[in-house]
Amino acid sequence: MLRFKALLSLIAVMTIAIMLTGTVQAQNVYRIGLNVPITGGGADAGKREVIGAQVAVNEINAKGGIGGAKLEMIVTDTGSNPHDAVNAVRKLAGDDKVLAIVGPHYSGVAESTFPLGNRIGIVQVAVASSKPGVAAANRPFAFRNTLTEDKIAVAVVEAVKKRYNPKRIALIVDIKDAVARAIGTKVFPGVLKKADLNVINAKKPVTFQTGDAQFTAQVTKLKALNPDAIGLGALGPDALNIITEARRQGMKQPFFGTAPLIEGNIPEKGGSAVVGTIAGSIWSTQLNDSRSRAFIKSYKELAKTLHPGKFTANPDYYPVNSYDAVYMIVDAIKAKHIKPGMENLATKRIAIKDHFSDMKSFNGIASDGFNKVGDGKKNVHVFEIKDKAWKLIK
Amino acid sequence: MLAQQLVNGILLGSTYALIALGLTLVLGVFGKLNIAHGDVFMFGAFAGVAAASFGASLALAILAGIFVSAVVNVIIERSCFYPLRNAHFLAPMLSTIAFGILLQNVATQIWGSDPSRYPNIEAVTQFEIGGILLSSVHIVILAVSFSVMLTVDIVIYRTKIGRALRATALDPEVAGLLGVNTKNVMFITFLTAGALAGVAGVLTAVVYSQISPLIGIRQGLIGMVAMVIGGLGNLRGAMIGGILIGLVEVLNDAYLDASYRDLIVFSLFFGFIILKPNGLFPQPSGNRS
Repeated sequence: MLRFKALLSLIAVMTIAIMLTGTVQAQNVYRIGLNVPITGGGADAGKREVIGAQVAVNEINAKGGIGGAKLEMIVTDTGSNPHDAVNAVRKLAGDDKVLAIVGPHYSGVAESTFPLGNRIGIVQVAVASSKPGVAAANRPFAFRNTLTEDKIAVAVVEAVKKRYNPKRIALIVDIKDAVARAIGTKVFPGVLKKADLNVINAKKPVTFQTGDAQFTAQVTKLKALNPDAIGLGALGPDALNIITEARRQGMKQPFFGTAPLIEGNIPEKGGSAVVGTIAGSIWSTQLNDSRSRAFIKSYKELAKTLHPGKFTANPDYYPVNSYDAVYMIVDAIKAKHIKPGMENLATKRIAIKDHFSDMKSFNGIASDGFNKVGDGKKNVHVFEIKDKAWKLIK
Repeated sequence: MLAQQLVNGILLGSTYALIALGLTLVLGVFGKLNIAHGDVFMFGAFAGVAAASFGASLALAILAGIFVSAVVNVIIERSCFYPLRNAHFLAPMLSTIAFGILLQNVATQIWGSDPSRYPNIEAVTQFEIGGILLSSVHIVILAVSFSVMLTVDIVIYRTKIGRALRATALDPEVAGLLGVNTKNVMFITFLTAGALAGVAGVLTAVVYSQISPLIGIRQGLIGMVAMVIGGLGNLRGAMIGGILIGLVEVLNDAYLDASYRDLIVFSLFFGFIILKPNGLFPQPSGNRS
C-alpha cells in the first residue's frame, strides 16, 4: 500500500513538473504560425516560403530573440486547397495559440481563410495572393504582403510602350485562375486604355484554362488578329507554352505580363522563344542591394537542409515576402510591447492587427508597409528577358 | 483560319485518341476500367522528359515513355486487377483510383510540383501547305500518333495476338477452352495500353512543352469521354472519338470561349449516354461491355 502511494505521489510530482516546464517554456516564447502549401500544386512555392520565413526566425533567435524571448514558428500545410487551409488556421489559432499567421499563398485560398481569421480575431499575412480586392473585402484582420497586379501592370505597360511603341494590343486570358483572369479581364484593359493603347479584343479576349494541354487554337486566333504586342493574363507555366506555340506558328510579336510571369523559370526554359518578354515584380535575384544579396546567401544555405531540392534551391519573391512578413510581426510585438507567452491572446492579436493597420512604412527587403485596405506597399521593378534571365530595365 | 483550326483539332485529338485507345483495350478485353490510366500517361510523359533532359533524341524519349508507362500499367494489373479478379467488379476500379493518387504523389516527390519542361524544342522549321502552317514538331506528333493507331489497328484485327485479344473480349471462358492463354492476354493488354499512354504522354510533353504531376487527371477523363462517344470497347471508335473531342475543343476555343469548353464536351458526353448510349460505333453483339 505504502509503495502504491509512493508511486502515485511520484507520478503526481512528475505530472506537475512536466506541466510547469511546459508553462515556463510557453511563457518565454513568442509563437507565430506559417500556413502555406507543402503539398499539392503549390508545394514548391510553399516550401520556398517556409525557407524564407525560417531564415528570418533563425536571424532573430541568433540575435537573442525578442527581448530575450525566443521566436517559435509552427508550420502548417494548406495542401494548396481552401479546405485544408481553413483547418490549419483553426489549429494554429486554437491549439497552437499563435499570435499571428503568415500565409496563405493563393488568393483562392485566402478568400476562405480570411473570413475565418476575422471571426477568430487573428491576423493573417498572405504572401502571394495578388488578386485585387481580397484583403479589402476582409477587413480588419486580413493583410497581404504582396502588391496587387494593377500597380505592377501600370509600370509594365509604361515599359512596353517605351520599348516597342505598339499601337494595337491583343489580350489572352486564363479564365480559370482567379489572379490571371483578373489581370486579363480587368487590370490590363483599364491600364492599357489609360496609356492610350488600343486593345483590339478587350471585349472578347482569347481565352484558355490553367494547365491546358495545347494552345494551338488560341495562338492561331491571336495570329489572325495581327496585334503589335500581346498582353498575358496567365500564370508563368502557361505563358511559357503560349509564347513557345506562338513562335512555332511564326508569330514574332513581343509578349508582356505581370508578376505571375516571373514564376516558373521562363527565361531558362523558354530559350530564344521568350527573349524580349517584359514583366514586372516586386523583387528578383537580379536586384543587387546588400540586403537582397545577404538574404539570397542565407536562403541558399538553409535550403540545403530545409526542403532541399532543385525547385527550392533558389529564392523568388515569395520567400522574400514571407521573410519580411515575419519581421513585420516582430515589429508589431516590439512596438506594442507584447509580452511572451499564451496569456491574453485575444488582446495581443488585436494589438498586432492595430499595428499593421497603422503600418504606413516598413523597412523590409521588398516591403514598405500596408495601405488602408491591408495590401502591401512595395516598389515595382520591370524586367525584360535577355540572355536566359530576367534583366532589370533601368 | 478554319482550315488551320481543323488541323489544330486533329493534332490535339490525336493524343486524346491514344489515351482512349489504351483505356478501350482494357475495357474491351476485361470489361474493367483503369481510372489510373491518365496517371500512367503522366508517368510516361515524365519519363520522356527525363530521358530528353539526359540528351536522348525524341525517338529514344518516346521509347523511355513507352517502357515506363508499360511497366507502371503492368504493376497496376498485378496490384489492382489480378488480386481482385474474383472480387466485386467495382473493387479493381476503386483500387485504381487510389493507385492514381499514389502515382501523382510519387511523381511530385520525384519531379516536384512545378512544371517540368521538355528540353530543346525551340528549334523548329515551319512548313506552309495551302495556307495551313505546320511546324516540324506538329508534323512529328501527327506522324507518330497516326502510325501508332494504324499499327494497333493492324495488330488487333489482322494478327494472331489480336485474334486472341478479341476472342477473350467476346468470351474469356470459351477463349480459354479454345486454347487462348487468358493470363497472357491480360498481361499483353495492360502492357500495350500502358505503352500507348506512354506515347501519348511524351507527345503531349513535346507539344505542351511542360508537364506537371496532375496533368493526367483531365487527360484520363477526356479519354473516357472519347471512349463513350466512340462506342464502349470499340477501338476504332475510341480513336475517332478522341479526334472528335480534339476538334470540338479547338473549335470552341477558336470561335466561342474557353470557359464553355468543358460544358460542351461533357454535355456531348451526356448527350451520347442518353441518346446514343452505344456510341458512334457500337460493339458487335456478344461483347460483354
